[in-house]
Amino acid sequence: MSNKTPVGSVLVVGGGITGMQSALDMAEAGYYVYLAEESPAIGGAMAQLDKTFPTNDCSM
Amino acid sequence: MEQVEPKIVAFLCNWCAYAGADLAGVSRLQHPSNMRTVRVMCSGRVDPLFIVQALKSGCDGVLVAG
Amino acid sequence: MNIELLTLSKVTSISGDSGDFTVTIKQSPRFVDMEKCIACGTCAEKCPAKTTDLFNEGLAKRKAIYVPYAQAVPLKYAIDKNRCIYFQKGKCRACEKFCPTNAIKFDDTEKDITLNVGSVILTAGFTPFNPDRFDNYQHAKFPNVVTSMEFERILSAGGPFGGHIHRLSDGKEPKKIAWLQCVGSRDLNRCDNEYCSSVCCMYAVKESIIAKEHLGPDFEPAIFFMDMRTHGKDFEKYYERAKSQGVRFIRSRVHTVTETDETGTLNLVYTTDAGERVSEDFDMVVLSVGMEPAASAIEAANTLGVELNSYKFVKTSGIAPVATSREGIYVAGAIQGPKDIPQSVVEASAAACSAGISLSAARGTLVKEKIFPDELAVQNEEPRIGVFVCNCGINIGGIADVPAIAAYAKELGHVVYTEEPLFACSQDAQDKMVEIIREQRLNRIVVAACTPRTHEPLFQETLRNAGLNAYLFEMANIRNQCTWVHSGEKEKATGKAKDLVRMAINRATLLEPIPSLSVSVNKSALVIGGGAAGMTAAISLADQGFNATIVEKSACLGGSARDVHNTWSGEDVQQFLKNLIERVSVHPRITVLTQAEVVEASGFVGNFETRVQAGEKTHSIQHGIAIVATGGQAAGTEEYLYGKHPSVTRWHDLENHPEKLAGAGSVIFIQCVGSRDEKRPYCSRICCTASVLQAIAIKEKQPDTNVFILYRDIRTFGEREILYKKAREKGVIFIRYSLEKKPVVTETTDGLEVRVFDPILQKELLIHADLVNLATAIEPSPNADIAAFYKVPVNAENFFMEAHAKLRPVDFASDGLFVCGLAHYPKSLDESIAQAMAAAGRAATVLARASILISPLVSQVNRDMCIGCGLCTEVCPFGAIIQEDADGKGFKAKNISASCKGCGLCASSCPKKAIDMLHFRDDQIIAAVCAAA
Repeated sequence: MSNKTPVGSVLVVGGGITGMQSALDMAEAGYYVYLAEESPAIGGAMAQLDKTFPTNDCSM
Repeated sequence: MEQVEPKIVAFLCNWCAYAGADLAGVSRLQHPSNMRTVRVMCSGRVDPLFIVQALKSGCDGVLVAG
Repeated sequence: MNIELLTLSKVTSISGDSGDFTVTIKQSPRFVDMEKCIACGTCAEKCPAKTTDLFNEGLAKRKAIYVPYAQAVPLKYAIDKNRCIYFQKGKCRACEKFCPTNAIKFDDTEKDITLNVGSVILTAGFTPFNPDRFDNYQHAKFPNVVTSMEFERILSAGGPFGGHIHRLSDGKEPKKIAWLQCVGSRDLNRCDNEYCSSVCCMYAVKESIIAKEHLGPDFEPAIFFMDMRTHGKDFEKYYERAKSQGVRFIRSRVHTVTETDETGTLNLVYTTDAGERVSEDFDMVVLSVGMEPAASAIEAANTLGVELNSYKFVKTSGIAPVATSREGIYVAGAIQGPKDIPQSVVEASAAACSAGISLSAARGTLVKEKIFPDELAVQNEEPRIGVFVCNCGINIGGIADVPAIAAYAKELGHVVYTEEPLFACSQDAQDKMVEIIREQRLNRIVVAACTPRTHEPLFQETLRNAGLNAYLFEMANIRNQCTWVHSGEKEKATGKAKDLVRMAINRATLLEPIPSLSVSVNKSALVIGGGAAGMTAAISLADQGFNATIVEKSACLGGSARDVHNTWSGEDVQQFLKNLIERVSVHPRITVLTQAEVVEASGFVGNFETRVQAGEKTHSIQHGIAIVATGGQAAGTEEYLYGKHPSVTRWHDLENHPEKLAGAGSVIFIQCVGSRDEKRPYCSRICCTASVLQAIAIKEKQPDTNVFILYRDIRTFGEREILYKKAREKGVIFIRYSLEKKPVVTETTDGLEVRVFDPILQKELLIHADLVNLATAIEPSPNADIAAFYKVPVNAENFFMEAHAKLRPVDFASDGLFVCGLAHYPKSLDESIAQAMAAAGRAATVLARASILISPLVSQVNRDMCIGCGLCTEVCPFGAIIQEDADGKGFKAKNISASCKGCGLCASSCPKKAIDMLHFRDDQIIAAVCAAA
């Protein structure tokens, strides 16, 4: 990396649970975030799950 | 004879039961129209006095869901 | 507002370097105007073209214009061009005709977007293994053979069958379902995926338990497996619970599924432990499919120019778990290797931390903040309520009589203005609302429309734009909870809507402005524990520009990693540790206190104060956040002659004393010593891999030494499976034992003798051993003090408990406190490093600000009425009410607003009614209740 000031934004590729978490953390830490998702909506595979361990909560 | 239409006050937790009632709407799940929702931030907010007040005001039933 | 969502978007190129990348993106057309679409669903209702619904794994149909699922974000429809009749045949446009907001854009085009970004985080995920290529399971042909993803949709209340489990062949409820594990995993012969997918055992257990909840006590689930891999936190208990609820676990790999009759009943032939061949019929078979890198993910990785490993997962190292081969590009989640949700979320925060380190000089340069006009002082004015009854196109107006509701509202007390917008949430309606509020001098607003859960923030912003406090606003939910669910009863719906509006108005009359609440943030951190996790967390914070103090109990840094030689992926741990200690020691932002212990702590997020005793000296440390990394260690044991015979060792003793190995003819490893039993009902997660690694090392150095591993299940999850395979190839002998028939170690004249029952030979074996090495349980360091000081919970086994097992794996429930490393659960070094970086990443979301806004909807104590009974402190789940010594007046309750979540437990518990909740005051709630009848 050169000595000049970096660009204060980040691109997150993939809008599943992982991408969403990265995007939220970056935005809250003071960076502008682009979140690119291939499909019409974010959510990824986790949105398809019925419930998750251990609380058997709905994964929504 | 006129049918009785009971009125039920429902205290719904914003984070779960109220969200569930919203989702019933999104899924168009039809159900009787007797419920009158009062949104609370947690079902733990519901003071027994609220329930007494609902019944005193003429409601026929109370639902607390959270 | 600082996240820009680009849906239907693919990365097409990247140039530049870390800190300054130029990325191009191709965005496919949606054909629906996102600004105009209100997701009413009319288009999909009218669309005549049906196609396979992939969200429901092909088990249902959807229309060509669709939202993937009801809770989708953004909740905006899209047209599937390949299925749309207009695009395919030139005629139809039904959606356009019926759309109430003219949102359909058939002339929408593909867009090229160029972005300038400092870093890229790659999280493109996995794809479930497609078993259609396996002719022995006949997934494509037999209707009652489904994949686990399909079964998730079958179970889901929002799925194609409303959560009613039935056979796809004849609609009958299944009485018996078999799960077949390792489909597309641990299988080199048929699918080339030799790794373990890590998650399938656990989800199969979950699916079987939930299916049992759906189908009742007569339902018979059976899981066919090779090794049951429930290695995650609290997973083992869940496995035990499944067994006690009647889930059958059969250790056998089923070769073939056949159909026995025309109704679609399925037959499995398998071999039991005792070698017996059994033929059994099942109503359904669920294939527990593994994870593969998604084709689109591989493409994205290639476009970004990052290296992949031999399985086409993104390549990383065991000491830099989220760094890719290209500087400035980070990776997280299942695109890096098969893993579960918590580990993916951990890596997500770790990747954010890494990107944050490389961009820290530019933090805050591109984020935007909205500015509102000054608030008008209206609290002493008579209420002047404006009521906006939204038609929501025809969603509300088509069922309830909106003009009648508005007319009714107009007659109620304090209402001075009513209106019936077509869409209250549209931009023009919002602009008009601002004007009306000013013109009519309104000081309370009621919007009767959809749900406050999605739209309250939008309207609150409109109020603020008009100079009103955001909390002078109330919504009546007359769409989701009224017209949508009573669409066949128009009059009743109108009546209910009137009631809900009346309740909202009554409550609105009593609403008061609530000032925003913020606390300043001390931009420094306290890290408790100076092991690999604690040091990594401190470095990760310091490199982002925050000061950190490490408090280490012992005299030197390093913790339990000092015993470890190599990571499972082969990196030199001691070299890594040496570098880490050196960096920590010289970093200007890091202070290290050794032989130091926390003796007292107080405060809340942004403003903690901790007293640390270091030798004779006491330090008082002010800090904004704290990271708990107190570590763990291998437990002792009294089993298997440990401590009584010099040739019985544990864990890394053998590696640390290579002289013991020289000349040894036979070495026996015993697994699960003190794990997965009654006292410690958890799996220690890392021991199988550790023993397998050691066994390989012995075999490589002394091929003639006989090496045995006595195990209960080999849990070399993920790509660690390759080590297991390698060990077998090198001749390491694996013998399974059960908790009921543990091995017995006895001393003989020439060493040791181990007796173990081999379930495959159905025979007891007698093995001579020169050395016996025990994989004892990993237990947390004593942590009761820390738990008490910071009021953070531990689980039954004394591991610290995170806020949410899946979604908040490094946060404590209380803000500003985080956990990582062995203190949370046994984990390998790469996982500890990732979690430590994640904790630092999460901490940065607090430390990055000068002050943090907190919700002002908190409890309020009337001190004159408080009798200091302490009940509120007792019931508060967040430690947000304390008892304060009031001079001469005993104790009085005091709210810690920064910790309060506004749940109101304290208010409803207070015997003197001395506590009330802002915005949810007793009288405000009662006003709504009284208006309900």
